[in-house]
Amino acid sequence: MAPIRLLELLILLAALAGFAGLLLRRNLFLKVLAMDVMGSAVVALFVLLAARSGLRSPILPRSGALLAQDYADPIPQAVILTAIVIGLSIQALLLVVITQMARIDPSLDAASFEPKDQP
Amino acid sequence: MTLSWSSSTEGLLAIWLLVPYLAAFLAVLLPSLSHGLVLLCCSATAFVGAEVLLSASSTQLQLLGPLGVSLSLEPLAGWFLLLNGLVCLAVWLEAQRQGWDRTGWMLLLVLLGSLNTSFLTTDLISLYVSLEVVGISAFLLVLKGETANAHWIALRYLLIGNTAMAIYLMGAGLVYAQAGSFQFEALAKLLPGAPLVLVLVGLLAKAGVFLNGLWLPRTHAEAPAEISALLSGVVVGGGALPLLRLEQLNSSIGELLLPIGLGSAVLGLIYALGVNDAKRLLAWSTLAQMGLVLLSPAAGGLLAFSHGLAKGGLFLTARHWPSRSLSAWRNQPLAWPVLLPVWIGSLSIAGLAPLLGYAAKKQLESSVRPDIATLLVVLSVGSVAVYCRLCRAPWALAKASQAPGNAWPWGAWLLILPLLIGGLRLVGQVQSGWLISLAVLLLGVGLDLLLERWRQQELRPLPSLDRLPDLIGGLGLVGAGLLLALGSGVV
Repeated sequence: MAPIRLLELLILLAALAGFAGLLLRRNLFLKVLAMDVMGSAVVALFVLLAARSGLRSPILPRSGALLAQDYADPIPQAVILTAIVIGLSIQALLLVVITQMARIDPSLDAASFEPKDQP
Repeated sequence: MTLSWSSSTEGLLAIWLLVPYLAAFLAVLLPSLSHGLVLLCCSATAFVGAEVLLSASSTQLQLLGPLGVSLSLEPLAGWFLLLNGLVCLAVWLEAQRQGWDRTGWMLLLVLLGSLNTSFLTTDLISLYVSLEVVGISAFLLVLKGETANAHWIALRYLLIGNTAMAIYLMGAGLVYAQAGSFQFEALAKLLPGAPLVLVLVGLLAKAGVFLNGLWLPRTHAEAPAEISALLSGVVVGGGALPLLRLEQLNSSIGELLLPIGLGSAVLGLIYALGVNDAKRLLAWSTLAQMGLVLLSPAAGGLLAFSHGLAKGGLFLTARHWPSRSLSAWRNQPLAWPVLLPVWIGSLSIAGLAPLLGYAAKKQLESSVRPDIATLLVVLSVGSVAVYCRLCRAPWALAKASQAPGNAWPWGAWLLILPLLIGGLRLVGQVQSGWLISLAVLLLGVGLDLLLERWRQQELRPLPSLDRLPDLIGGLGLVGAGLLLALGSGVV
């Protein structure tokens, strides 16, 4: 089970890298990309979870006979498909807003949009 | 696709859940129908909520097999449904005057429908999907604002919301890996650990609690008045109700969230007492009240209901205020049709008998440990002092006759009246503590006078906590804190 552990570690690293990028990057566009890195790590996590029971695509052949037992778990795959669609649409919405904000500050420095008034 | 209806009520329930989405499409295609559709969906939601509360019945529904969508309709969800219906109805009344177009009605209907779904689901994935739809429609509604930084506020809202939900989804994946199911019960039965913490971090951010909710004050204050009422009234409930359900299933989750809820109440109160902007004050107070809602699943529903009605009503009067700066309120009289809802809403959240907020507060105090209940009494002195500041505008009795149609905030009245009626119905059922309430009221007014002197000196402004790095860091801090608390066995 060593390869799965290694992949788990890599996914954790990707999620942490996305979070760090979101926190540390100053450019808004890069912040949104960092958020997407985090989203991709989540997708990879679900795909990895589905692969625990096997790697074969969970689709029955036309004859209906089970060829082997090493099918991947279809539930996490189905779930993450919805999440990918939602992530894509949110990404698109954020990028539309960012293009509009680029008219105010073309360098897209996040700090320049922060209001200066009281908390 | 096989659906497992066992009776026609369950079929009706599923239809009622789906109708708002269909109505949203119809409202765009046939704008002439939009008012009727909004009215129908809002009243159906309020009716279902009231029906469940009055009959105290509970229905469980499992669609598409054991790994599919699971729904649960019980009195706890009934409070949130009734609140959702009433607030959306009030916002519809007010938004008509603001000339909302068909996209506005569509977004309102989608928000109503997705909130209904999020209040009913008891599995992690359906909750994820409905909360993301809530987030997207709220984001588009915030973008309707005319202010200069509406883009920035909306972008921040969606960015933080989606980051929190990515963390949540990671937790959901780990729950499935360990328990083989996405049900809330499966999560509650697991030994508390990383999956629980990740799910909680996501839900706390959606509910606007403590450091995870630092995005809330500015978002709720800068949005247009009707959107603020929606956000502060019901949208935060989308995150709070699942947390209450988890607490109900496993009391150790309640123990884990207790310090966070109390911390949120203290943080929100300090800032609500310090700021000079009336809408910001209301928004910080939402952060404080959502912390209190999480303290007890037995009283959380009623507290969220009374708070949502009062806060929604207060935000809906915002367009009639002479200015948002509280230091100017003392000199500018408000017409009584506006000031009366402000007073009733304020006094309800401050916990004055016989309003609904008093009953909710008493129920909360009797359902938590005695030492926490004492702390709550101290905190309510603070909330009296916060809401004293809103009751300072002079009454203008004559002004109402000048512009009768314009001066009546009908939506605010719709939300305020249930506070009175519900309060009168419930006040007999809670244990009375008139003497303590009176003492709290006097102490609160005294604290307000004391703080007013301090505010005029303008010694040191409170630190700004809501820059984007702070918001993201808040998510990380609360997550790390929860993990440490679980690891060291404090809770």
